[in-house]
Amino acid sequence: MSSVANRSSRSVVIFSSAFVLLWVVIASFPFLWTLWGSFKVQGDFFSKADWRNALWGTRTLLETGGTFTGAGYEGAWIQEEFWRATINTMIVVFFTVIISLTFGTLGGYALARSGHKYAFWLLMIALVFRAMPHITLVSGYLLPFFEWNLWGKLPTAIIVLVAINQPFTLWMLHSFFLNIPKDLDESARVDGCTQIQAFRHVIMPVMWPGVITTGLFSFLLAYNDFAVTSMLLSEDNRTMVPAIAGFLGSTLEEGNVMFAVAAVVSATAPLFVLVLFFQRQIVSGLTAGAVKG
Amino acid sequence: MAEIQLRNVGKRWGSFVGVDNFDLTIADKEFLVLLGPSGCGKTTTMRMIAGLEDVTEGEILIGGKVVNELEPKDRDVSMVFQSYALYPNMNVYENIRFPLRVRGIDQSTHDEKVRRASAMVELDDFLHRKPAELSGGQRQRVALARAIVREPNVFLMDEPLSNLDAKLRVSTRAQIKNLSHELAVTTIYVTHDQIEAMTLADRVVVMKGGVVQQVGSPTDIYDKPANAFVASFIGSPAMNLMDGAMSGGTFTAPNVKITGLNAPDGPLTLGYRAEDASLASDGNGQINAPIYTLELLGDATMISVRVGDALVSVKADKTYRAEIGDMVSISVPNEICHLFNANDGARIGE
Repeated sequence: MSSVANRSSRSVVIFSSAFVLLWVVIASFPFLWTLWGSFKVQGDFFSKADWRNALWGTRTLLETGGTFTGAGYEGAWIQEEFWRATINTMIVVFFTVIISLTFGTLGGYALARSGHKYAFWLLMIALVFRAMPHITLVSGYLLPFFEWNLWGKLPTAIIVLVAINQPFTLWMLHSFFLNIPKDLDESARVDGCTQIQAFRHVIMPVMWPGVITTGLFSFLLAYNDFAVTSMLLSEDNRTMVPAIAGFLGSTLEEGNVMFAVAAVVSATAPLFVLVLFFQRQIVSGLTAGAVKG
Repeated sequence: MAEIQLRNVGKRWGSFVGVDNFDLTIADKEFLVLLGPSGCGKTTTMRMIAGLEDVTEGEILIGGKVVNELEPKDRDVSMVFQSYALYPNMNVYENIRFPLRVRGIDQSTHDEKVRRASAMVELDDFLHRKPAELSGGQRQRVALARAIVREPNVFLMDEPLSNLDAKLRVSTRAQIKNLSHELAVTTIYVTHDQIEAMTLADRVVVMKGGVVQQVGSPTDIYDKPANAFVASFIGSPAMNLMDGAMSGGTFTAPNVKITGLNAPDGPLTLGYRAEDASLASDGNGQINAPIYTLELLGDATMISVRVGDALVSVKADKTYRAEIGDMVSISVPNEICHLFNANDGARIGE
């Protein structure tokens, strides 16, 4: 009897493991394909003769003498100075995250602790702004930015990204704060804190998972943004995503498509590191409030 | 030295009255219990004293000083919350130390004070644990230790025992009583449990719908409830109340006839306590009715009968046995009867 149960449970384990493995392969295939292809020449990765050339690197061997080549990376990073775009991205992302988290934490806390009805309506308005397509903000701002001579600069893009991001951070942090019982603030205030001290010493230490989770989402929004950065930044100030789009756009020169592929891989890799690094906080942040503690 | 005065204190939210015209002086070192059903305004009153709730009208004085506009931290009160409100990121030691730390009290005294407070509530072995690693009773004691560590003028407790199981509640209650005796600090204690009120209080304030019903010592409110509500709230079991009619000194209700009472004619509510009444031999008691239910309590047997809509009971000997439906006669002598106005419930007579 028990051996039957064991056998069937083992086959379930094998089946489900195989299924998960298959799913992981399918899900990660586009990235793996791009990663592999980024070390080939365009004639292989975009082969018209035989798609399998991308796997074996037939043309790559003919053109460079090896089946792998770093030509795409060299072209993107050195020739086209992709590192400038990387630095720009870091600046834009850093300030977008810091600013939207600062306002989001303070505002979310205030809204969560406010007993007034307008708190609800402020959040509703925030939701409306969050729901708007990003491009509406950009098109509305383009003319004044040109007239005030603000167009093309990094701070301009940062401000617009913060504006797009803020409703979301406000909402998310607001709901995190709601999960922290009000008794904690009040207890701190009776124990001798001012409202600000209670926020700093008691509430914020409990809030870190929420702040990190929200910060990560803001980071991803700023990091992956195309609509705002492509419209608002001059060529010198481009961030990574519009720079990659730029590589793809200029197909007159052979090899530039491979620059784009190499740049895509370069832009994606840090995200893996980031998520792996913060995964504990993210998980606890996403499930905060699910169980009473 | 901290006498607390509440001068016609009221709390309103729009047209909703939370607390109405609360006027009371709480003596220094007194243990005062605010008692009432949920929503009666007892917690609101305490929160106004703590400074967590604005006062709509009236004045609150602590130690002779008006504190209406003061922040909670400047009132020199400490509070134990119903949910304990321990700081989850700090261990027990840091939790207890927190009030000393934020108030900038001389660092060198912290350790001694924390250890003294934790010893008082027997927490010495748990100082390095996080709140999440403690049981309900231990968390409760951390909250107590945090409240007593800086020896405040006033001690506020908001239903501190309501999240504990029955057994722990009894032992923690004893601990709080002992602690308050030892510390001799003015204490205000909010509860909906009349047993806690009776056992802990120097004085009890019974509240209902934001209005004070009666203020008095536990014996006062037990022996002479000011109205039918207090009578029905205090005691275990609560006082038996019967609606009936008074005519020429005789109270009548279905199955009930009590003579020789001193009250005006008309409708009346009569009450007596189950433990004061006794069983009478067949037909000689004032209440004669079939048994509705019979409960064995161990030390006694509780017999209930129906009088109109009400269920009234009598405490009989623990060896008493009968079947449901058997006729029973209950002796309710005049001296154990409490008379209340049938309309507003106010007590009639002394």
